[in-house]
Amino acid sequence: MELSGTFELENVTVEEVWLALSDPVLLAQAAPGCEFAEEVDDPDDVDFDALRAAAADREDPPTLPEADPEEVAERAIEEGDHYAAVLGVKIGSVNPTFEAVGTITKREFPEMHASGEGASSDSSFEVSSGMKLTETDNGVQVDWWAESDVFGRVAQMGQRVMNPVANRLVNRFFSQIADRLTDVGEDSPNVRDRIKDLI
Amino acid sequence: MSIETIESDEVERGKAVGSSMQRREDRPLITGEGQFTDDLKYPREVQLVILRSRFGHATITDIDTSEAEAMDGVLAVYTEEDILASGLDNTIPGDGGQDHTAPVDRHLLASQKVRYQGDPIAAVVAKDRYTGHDAVDAIDVSYERLDMVTDIQDALQKDAPVIHEEAPDNVAFEWSSGNADETLASFDDAEEVVEVDLSINKVVAVPMEPRAAVAQYRPAAEELIVDLGCQSVLGVQDHLSGVLGVPEQRITVRAPEVGGGFGVKAQPYTGHILAAWCAMQLERPVKWQATRSEAFVSTNHSRRHDLTARAAIEDGRIVGLHVDSTADVGGYLTSGGAGVPSGAFGTRLLGQYDIPNAFVEVTGVFTNTTTLSAYRGAGRPEAAYVIERLANACARELGEDPLEFRRRNFIEPDQFPYETPFGSGYDSGDYEKTLDKALEYVDYEAFRERQAEAREEGRYLGIGFSNYIEICGGGAGGLQGGQLRIHPSGKVVARSSLVENGQGHATGFSQIVADELGVDIDDVDIVAGDSDRVPEGGGTGGSKAITMGGNALKEGAKKLRERARAIAAHELEAATEDIVFDDGEFHVAGAPSRSMTIEDVASVAYSGNLPEDIRGLEETTFFSPEGSTAPFGTHVVIVEIDPESGELEIDRYVAIDDVGTQINPKLIEGQIVGGVVQSIGQAIYEDAIYDDNGNLLSGTLQDYAVPRAKHVPEIEWDSTVTPSPNNPLGAKGVGEAGTIATMPAIVNATIDALEPLGVDHIDMPLTQERIWRTVQEAQEE
Repeated sequence: MELSGTFELENVTVEEVWLALSDPVLLAQAAPGCEFAEEVDDPDDVDFDALRAAAADREDPPTLPEADPEEVAERAIEEGDHYAAVLGVKIGSVNPTFEAVGTITKREFPEMHASGEGASSDSSFEVSSGMKLTETDNGVQVDWWAESDVFGRVAQMGQRVMNPVANRLVNRFFSQIADRLTDVGEDSPNVRDRIKDLI
Repeated sequence: MSIETIESDEVERGKAVGSSMQRREDRPLITGEGQFTDDLKYPREVQLVILRSRFGHATITDIDTSEAEAMDGVLAVYTEEDILASGLDNTIPGDGGQDHTAPVDRHLLASQKVRYQGDPIAAVVAKDRYTGHDAVDAIDVSYERLDMVTDIQDALQKDAPVIHEEAPDNVAFEWSSGNADETLASFDDAEEVVEVDLSINKVVAVPMEPRAAVAQYRPAAEELIVDLGCQSVLGVQDHLSGVLGVPEQRITVRAPEVGGGFGVKAQPYTGHILAAWCAMQLERPVKWQATRSEAFVSTNHSRRHDLTARAAIEDGRIVGLHVDSTADVGGYLTSGGAGVPSGAFGTRLLGQYDIPNAFVEVTGVFTNTTTLSAYRGAGRPEAAYVIERLANACARELGEDPLEFRRRNFIEPDQFPYETPFGSGYDSGDYEKTLDKALEYVDYEAFRERQAEAREEGRYLGIGFSNYIEICGGGAGGLQGGQLRIHPSGKVVARSSLVENGQGHATGFSQIVADELGVDIDDVDIVAGDSDRVPEGGGTGGSKAITMGGNALKEGAKKLRERARAIAAHELEAATEDIVFDDGEFHVAGAPSRSMTIEDVASVAYSGNLPEDIRGLEETTFFSPEGSTAPFGTHVVIVEIDPESGELEIDRYVAIDDVGTQINPKLIEGQIVGGVVQSIGQAIYEDAIYDDNGNLLSGTLQDYAVPRAKHVPEIEWDSTVTPSPNNPLGAKGVGEAGTIATMPAIVNATIDALEPLGVDHIDMPLTQERIWRTVQEAQEE
């Protein structure tokens, strides 16, 4: 299954979007249905139960706009990083919970690629994806694409059901990012400058 | 349209055969009293749920069952290891390892590799079904996904993924039949060669009741009792015994009400075999009921071929027929997985035509899809489709009317029994007769005029014919038991191994028995569907209930009548040869007052005072027919197509079938109508579609378009009667005729409608989109 799209964020800079999309904490919060996302050393050996327990005991640090941009930059994802996440989605009549691992395969401003795979009790997916940021007259355009192979129960629902769900999830994700960044732009002009310097 | 039925008490003694008596099977089904497998509940019953592969092709590196095993309410979780530890070899019967097939096994549970989405991997037995499904979800299978191939053409490519190491080229079988040299030579000399390339869609049989079984084991007696919706209680007994190593006399197999068989319940599958094995392991009743989704991925699919069919023509006659086909067998070779797309298909390709030279080659191919085997018609719908599409193409090529071409090529009535170059025989036939009768219903000339007028108005009508034969009803060497007893009360009980799947066996059998014995139809009870209570014989399938089961009971009843005659002679103090039997009464020739009814005879038959050789009224016959039967007919379809939208509407459907002697015309009409509806499904709506990742996309009733009532036109049915010389009743099989006849008639009608738009070919299913695209492409050319 191949998906792609464009999302426009108004009144933000490329650097702000880049920093926001580099923040694992914010990414996890913005991803619809994401229970948690944790960096892991070995993507082939992930103890999801332990990660889940650890995530439950921990409070997320502040994210943009409240967070200190330097702190965000400090924890930013890097090429080669591996993350494990638990994602719950609703597709048609089924609500699979996927245990997924992903790897950042490319991170060169303003372009980022990631690949990953996940499995639920009756379905699996493999995905490679990417996005590229471009400055526009009044903000930033995110061009994104994903190629996925889906197996099992969810896949049997066919693209007719899956495509709209995938598009909706991606749009919801970017809307979340946009909401946070709008606050950055409006409330804290000096944060904007600090972010610009960071990239 | 429809034939009127009569109540059983309106049936005159001795005249039951040929009457449209109401089905005696209906009352329990309509009132809800009928019990299907899942309605049966046994004390301490537990539920089996099967974990099936999500991938079309993968190796399994680990199966972690610990979490599932620890769940409350879970009794056991089994994998291949447990099966092997119990002493079984983990295989179930299939068509692999024959002379012409790849040496490939089917397994009860996969361990190292899965080969289609739905391949069984592990089994959970739990106190209730919900817990069972939750536990299945908790089993952690580590897969390494492999490249997969779901299409037969792709599977034959050099670099295609290998599905079985034992078949490195993915070839499951290679088969051919006919006189190859003469056939190929006939093409060299032919005036004209006509060729069609056809792609036949893969369909899923959708019985209303998905497969199910409940098994009990009595360890002290070492007895296994399995209730399941199936087509052959003795067949299931056989393969359960073979797989599980339980002596067959200690296995009881019973079929309660069966919600449709259609060939796909005639087969060893993991589900019911595993239920029986689990019952033996746990020593308590184990039930398995497939869900609809599970049925879609695990019950055999059918009919997928890609083929080229060629006709060599001399003087307007087909003198050579050559068919080269590639057929899909799915991930494994099931029972019939090789037989159905080879012999059952290939040797029926002649249709109604007198063709001296014919040669067919079929290559069976493994794909990462659900296994394929018999579905109502089993090879013959595909064969009829091929020859009837080819017949139309020949007429088109010669620039003549399709009926003219057909009539010239028909086998003539005096050519029967007819033997084809494939070595199969047709018992009897009169092909002009059903065609002529069909034309009494459809005024062909008037239609052609109407069609021409409609075209001028921009409306596209088409007419399609299917002049089909099939070969069915058992064959020489086949055996079918029939067992009858007249109780002292005069009531008759007849027993047969055929399993009722909705056909109305008990109705038809009782008509045959009542007439032979001259008793009231309501005094005849039929016992079937219980391996302990029926004589040896076959199962339901291949349209043989009446030709085999009916004839066995007829012959048995005849023997029983002769037994009764001897008792009557003894009682009436006359010689047996002087006793006349008339409408249920024995009397001494020339002295009609010295008489006994058959009931009177029964009342004295069970007495030790009778000579030993005439005590009791019980007979068992093992019937074997002279040969198979070849029903035939003509189906005519008129369609109207809107090329702008691709919509197809069936305007008329006329079916004229000749199934030999008719026991109950209403049942025959019902069989034909049901078959036609299933075949309308394949022709217009149904398609088992896989994506490149081996997912069955049309795996629910939302996505897989079984025809609904609104899709089915009124079916005008009539018949001719050409008895079969191969059995005493003169009957021919009927169960599959409708599915065999329909597809080519609909497709031929569609091409006829679209011919002015430049369309001369289209494949099934004739979805709106496909028709629209075909028209667009034809217009562009």
